[in-house]
Amino acid sequence: MTHRTRNWLLLAPAGTWFLVMLIIPLSVVFIFSFGERAPSGGVVPAFTFEQYANLPARWTAFKNTMTLAPIGTLLALLIAYPLAYFLAVKANPKWKTILLVLVIVPFWTSILIRSYAWIFLLGGRGIPALLEWVGLEGIRLINTPFAVLVGIIYGYLPLMVFPIYVSLDKLDKRLLEASSDLGAKPWRTFLQITLPLSIPGIATGCMLVFILLMGEYLIPALLGGGKVFFVGNALVDLFLQSRNWAYGSAVAVALVAVMLITVTFYMRLISRLGASREDVSIM
Amino acid sequence: MENGGYVGDSSPANKKAIAELRGVSKSFGDVLAASDLNLSISAGEFLSFLGPSGCGKTTALRMLAGFETPTEGEVLLDGEVVNTLDAHHRPVNMVFQQYALFPHMTVAQNIGYGLRQRRPRLPKAQIAEKVTKALEIVRLSDFEDRKIWEMSGGQQQRVALARAIINEPKLLLLDEPMAALDRKLRKEMQIELQDLQRQLGITFVLVTHDQEEALSMSDRICIMREGRIVQIGSPQELYDRPNSRYVAGFVGTSNFFSGNVTDQNGGLATILLDNGMSVQGTPGVELAEGQDVCISVRPEQMKLHRQSDGVKVEVHNRIFLGEHTEYLVNHETLGDFLVLSPRQSELNEGGFEVGDQARVSWDASAALILNPN
Ligand SMILES: Nc1ncnc2c1ncn2[C@@H]1O[C@H](COP(=O)(O)OP(=O)(O)O)[C@@H](O)[C@H]1O
Ligand SMILES: [Mg+2]
Repeated sequence: MTHRTRNWLLLAPAGTWFLVMLIIPLSVVFIFSFGERAPSGGVVPAFTFEQYANLPARWTAFKNTMTLAPIGTLLALLIAYPLAYFLAVKANPKWKTILLVLVIVPFWTSILIRSYAWIFLLGGRGIPALLEWVGLEGIRLINTPFAVLVGIIYGYLPLMVFPIYVSLDKLDKRLLEASSDLGAKPWRTFLQITLPLSIPGIATGCMLVFILLMGEYLIPALLGGGKVFFVGNALVDLFLQSRNWAYGSAVAVALVAVMLITVTFYMRLISRLGASREDVSIM
Repeated sequence: MENGGYVGDSSPANKKAIAELRGVSKSFGDVLAASDLNLSISAGEFLSFLGPSGCGKTTALRMLAGFETPTEGEVLLDGEVVNTLDAHHRPVNMVFQQYALFPHMTVAQNIGYGLRQRRPRLPKAQIAEKVTKALEIVRLSDFEDRKIWEMSGGQQQRVALARAIINEPKLLLLDEPMAALDRKLRKEMQIELQDLQRQLGITFVLVTHDQEEALSMSDRICIMREGRIVQIGSPQELYDRPNSRYVAGFVGTSNFFSGNVTDQNGGLATILLDNGMSVQGTPGVELAEGQDVCISVRPEQMKLHRQSDGVKVEVHNRIFLGEHTEYLVNHETLGDFLVLSPRQSELNEGGFEVGDQARVSWDASAALILNPN
């Protein structure tokens, strides 16, 4: 077997998967998006931009996705970083594994069940009732962007914690000693050594959470209660309820386009940051 | 003290102590990594910690740097107790065992790191100027913009050195800096390091397990064993007057014969060796009659000849080394030992071949009587 065929064989399973599960459906969706709605639901093949012209009708879904996804990513990062730092740098090695397992324990039950728990907690008889008890009346939490953010952060935190943990864990602790030895106070060691060297973990975590958030639909549906909905919810609505496949496809294509644009932009930002890490460290 | 007064402060009295360890111990759980270290380091000297791996050298160094707090005793810098002073407040810099260079910075940025931490801030131009000078000192002038991973091991070591000396520390600590270099490079770096120390006048404290390295570079060597300091002295002192078999074996090579003391008179003592022979030697430590001891005779102080005095041996191996010839000889009851013959005496009296019968003798002054362990 030559080197080349071996390489092809290695790539074959993933390649096939990619072709069948991604390229073909995407192409189908792309073709559908130029079609028209059939009277009974489904698509009639056509070549019209009518569906795309209609996109502004779903503007709110895009706006919600494009604001809550980045905000959720950022908040998850802010909460995950200190936790990952603690686990990787400060935690007693004896407890590390147990603490790491605790981080993923929520994954052992389905997100659906956990979200119902949040519905209760944020709903009228949960936290608002408690607040009322201490004198803060009329606070509504469920079915607000806040509730969606809480759900998002709760659900996606482990995905953010792990990549950051890995990059901090493999950071050579002697570099921190060297920095201290050269006169840097602890917080400057953090800014100049720890933070720049954990950028790969931050980048991976943010990317993972952000991309998954763009397609999120369960959390807005349950905790946003139809008031705070994402593009994902619009798609469910169009494909399953109104059975307007052509329009749904156009919305899906638009979502993919938005995602591609943001991710490209994000990648360039990260590589710029990587290239100028020295400048970061000169602060 | 059993070690004959060599342990402790033997630094020149006229020099100021820049760092001191007073009864310093450090334990990690059950492991006693350093035990009752007493040492005074004088300004401008080149001191080495020498001992096998795991004997506590790095621990001693890390307590001077501020990475470990002693469990007992006091660490002093410039006369002040600094036990709990953080590393970033100490006027001490360290060259780490694997260099610990910052991978996300260029060579110049690594070297300037210490200066950038100064408060009040140093002007950028001044930092740049000092970095340029430090690069020159370690002969890396053309490499300032290189990434760390683009540098060879030897170059990385010089970056680590420059990164430390640019801060003009009171004490430069070096933890086995040459361990990762090949033999030839190591020799070169040893010479460079010595030059650098003289040129800068910075006090160097080197940790090594390589006796040759310690002997060739240091003003004083501190021999360590299982967390303790066994002897401190100049390389010559340690070589000529080791206080134990351990030190004699660690500094240079020596032939050892064990026995016990039967008699002492004047400067000499008579030792009954385990094989029943009685020999005279010079006490290197306090002796008591009947005490178990060990006699150490350096190979170059043994004479291989054809006269009638001395012990009868057979030549088992011969290695010609140029100005010396090394013989491995065997005595019926004393066993194998090494003799180093100068070329001149070989030329005068003729050499020996493997299998030859010969005799070996030495002066009583060359036979040092030491503790057996
Ligand atoms: N952080 C630590 N935790 C536990 N044991 C340690 C630690 N550092 C050193 N030791 C132990 O202390 C002893 C001395 O170690 P070290 O000072 O590194 O020796 P050396 O540098 O002479 O090889 C060894 O037995 C080592 O295992
Ligand atoms: Mg060591």
